[in-house]
Amino acid sequence: MSIIEELAMTPGVIAAGEYSYRGDRFSYEGNIDEEKARMASIMCRATTMAVHMQTDMLKSLNADRGCAPARGWVVKGEKFSVCVIANIFCFIDNTSSSLNEVMDYMRANVAGQEGEMI
Amino acid sequence: MADLDKLMGIDGAVAAFKFSSKGELVESRTVEVDKFTDTVLDLVSHVCVANMAISTMQARGWESMTGMGGFYPVKGFTMVGFDWTVVANDEFGVVIPNDKIDYDAAYAALNA
Amino acid sequence: MIKQLMILDGVMAVAQFRDDGVLVEGMGMQDESQLAGLAMFAHDYKRIVQGNADQLSMFTQVPGWTPPTGWLVRGAQVTVCSVGNIVCLVDSNNARMNEVMRELQDASHW
Repeated sequence: MSIIEELAMTPGVIAAGEYSYRGDRFSYEGNIDEEKARMASIMCRATTMAVHMQTDMLKSLNADRGCAPARGWVVKGEKFSVCVIANIFCFIDNTSSSLNEVMDYMRANVAGQEGEMI
Repeated sequence: MADLDKLMGIDGAVAAFKFSSKGELVESRTVEVDKFTDTVLDLVSHVCVANMAISTMQARGWESMTGMGGFYPVKGFTMVGFDWTVVANDEFGVVIPNDKIDYDAAYAALNA
Repeated sequence: MIKQLMILDGVMAVAQFRDDGVLVEGMGMQDESQLAGLAMFAHDYKRIVQGNADQLSMFTQVPGWTPPTGWLVRGAQVTVCSVGNIVCLVDSNNARMNEVMRELQDASHW
């Protein structure tokens, strides 16, 4: 089973997907429609690019202290959160999921990517 | 209400900081004084504010377009670095090594 | 071609970069590594602006945001501005920004 399928079946996960760094394709599994998945891919890609730039800049300012290269990010909303590691994203329901469980799984199973990949 | 001592009480926390709405460092605590200086934490604060602002824009846009509420107001942003993770809300942030990170505990302390 | 930008009032440095951010040519800084840093910053910033413009386009449903032509960050003393794959460092108080942006736009088509 793929990481995305595995994530999508995790309790409390609404949907999981993958976007290309070039922004030209995406795939997903779960309980959202294709248009939402497309929008989610665009948003997650934009934030990933921003976080990579920020950690690279911290590094160039000699202030990264081990932050660069970035591995991912989380936005915690009121009812839902978005978790991203590399180019894999996951929407979770805050009340019925474990953020630690989802992030531990993603960090353990999604390889870090940097440099020319991004 | 979060406070720096409470944040430093999170298992593994190496630095905690408070920042203004513009991202300027207001106050900090750290157990790694050589590594997480105020200059470093000020930059990290700006990163947190920048990402909270972008996330809020995304939450607003997403909710108005899809009708799927639940993201706004954004309660926090986490950056998972190579060795360190920073968990922050509008005012406070905490730095925790990746191998010790407990996201739920960090958000609980931030939102307490 | 970047010489034409350097002669404009207030322009302190110019760098042209490849699509992967690597410096092609630069002027105005003694240290080549600083020019390379400026080029990489402009490349990264361009991609962020592209990402944000994509989202603005998506959320507002108003056409005309994308693809973004360039960007400008105005500091108290120094302004950084870029169009296409060229970036300039400009003295905020001694430059005519309209002229710099117009020349940048022209240069980006070269």
